Amino acid sequence: MSIFTKLAASKIANELLLPQAVTAALELIINKALALNNNTSVSFSAVAQKTLTLKLAELSFPLSFSVNSSSKPVVVIVSTLAEQSDCSIQTSLYTLKKLKDNQSLTQLIKQDELDVSGDLKVAQQFANIAQSLEIDWQSELANHLGDVPTHKLLQFGNKVTKSFLTKSKQLEADLTEYVVHEKRLVVSKSQIKAFNQRTKEIANDVSAISKRVDKLIADYASK
Amino acid sequence: MSSSDQIPQENDLPKSQQTPMNIDGNSTTHFGYKTIEKDDKISMVAGVFHSVAKQYDVMNDLMSFGIHRLWKRFTIDASGVRPGNKVLDLAGGTGDLTAKFSQLVGREGKVVLADINSSMLNVGRDKLRDKGLVQNIEYVQANAEYLPFEENTFDIVTIAFGLRNVTDKDKALRSIYSVLKPGGRLLVLEFSKPEHELLNKAYDFYSFNILPKMGEIVAKDGDSYQYLAESIRMHPDQETLKSMMDNAGFEQTSFKNLTGGVVALHKGYKF
Repeated sequence: MSIFTKLAASKIANELLLPQAVTAALELIINKALALNNNTSVSFSAVAQKTLTLKLAELSFPLSFSVNSSSKPVVVIVSTLAEQSDCSIQTSLYTLKKLKDNQSLTQLIKQDELDVSGDLKVAQQFANIAQSLEIDWQSELANHLGDVPTHKLLQFGNKVTKSFLTKSKQLEADLTEYVVHEKRLVVSKSQIKAFNQRTKEIANDVSAISKRVDKLIADYASK
Repeated sequence: MSSSDQIPQENDLPKSQQTPMNIDGNSTTHFGYKTIEKDDKISMVAGVFHSVAKQYDVMNDLMSFGIHRLWKRFTIDASGVRPGNKVLDLAGGTGDLTAKFSQLVGREGKVVLADINSSMLNVGRDKLRDKGLVQNIEYVQANAEYLPFEENTFDIVTIAFGLRNVTDKDKALRSIYSVLKPGGRLLVLEFSKPEHELLNKAYDFYSFNILPKMGEIVAKDGDSYQYLAESIRMHPDQETLKSMMDNAGFEQTSFKNLTGGVVALHKGYKF
């Protein structure tokens, strides 16, 4: 994305108050998750008054997370505290997924997929909290829907997820097969063009011969 | 030289820089479209807010379709607040900004929720206490024109949807300037003038036809919401408010229109 496109996207996002809408929605979801956490051993004291800033390639604004644990732990997110942050991470959603899959942090930094400035410990403490949360979604959902509908809904959800995973795995395998083997055998665009051109030329030649033969037959018949 | 010595006084200003309110003989002011004695405005505005205090949050959500929450978030984002700051949330009403500031300034910081109206202050205090926000918030009933704080006290002063109800806005701005620390900033979030004519017309229709009816049904008080619509139209536009801030002594003043100029956030520093 060019710098001008990025600037335009950022301007539109700001006009629509998108940063504020995103931070409000994230804050709501995260704090709801914290309220439902069953793991009482999670400690927020290490990150109290600390700020972690995340600059994602997909977003035109930063997300600064801070924790207030005065009464009950609450995460506050603002979109412009980048300079005052204890730790700042510049990356993309794709790389975050790699981090979740336990790919080495140093390897990602070396590959320029991740840029960390400030106290890395703060980022680790935030990540530890996120990983140690235990939320019993099933009983929470059952409180609202009832036991049987919840069971059916989750069963359906698992089925859909399973089917989606199988399909995406199949698609991935098909794509790999295509890229590795079939793509080399497939006729290229220029070859098709050349073939079409040659077919046209042959058709023209046949048509010319046909006309000539017709003329010769006519000449022969008139003699 | 004390900071108050540096503040230009109203009478020192050239006529071209004085706002209409400074010129009109000093004894009258506006209450919506009505011209009233200045001394009466405080009690009349108080009447409006005593009446709507309990339904204030519900009505804000209804009237703005919830967008007021994003405007307030924008103000927090623009404030540059950090842990340990002292913040004055002036005309803070039911404490939306105070709640967020309280979480951001932390244990070492402090937020003062000030409002001239005791009903609004009570609703705000109950709401914040219910949220468990108690340790770094103070409540003060105060008139923005005569702030009861020492000079150079606050890092940030905000006044959201409150300035248009103040009788003497210039005096209030000078009072705010005085209580700010050098390097401190004022953020004024207030209704303003829409940038586009079409939006302006739609906004007028909404304000004068739908809003009072909404107020009548939900808050059982259509007159207060008629006042709201009128007071918004009588409030200085973006450029005028910016020059009023300049005149009060603020530096690097700027404004940002939100939602097409329906609301504007003005910002100024004290150095």
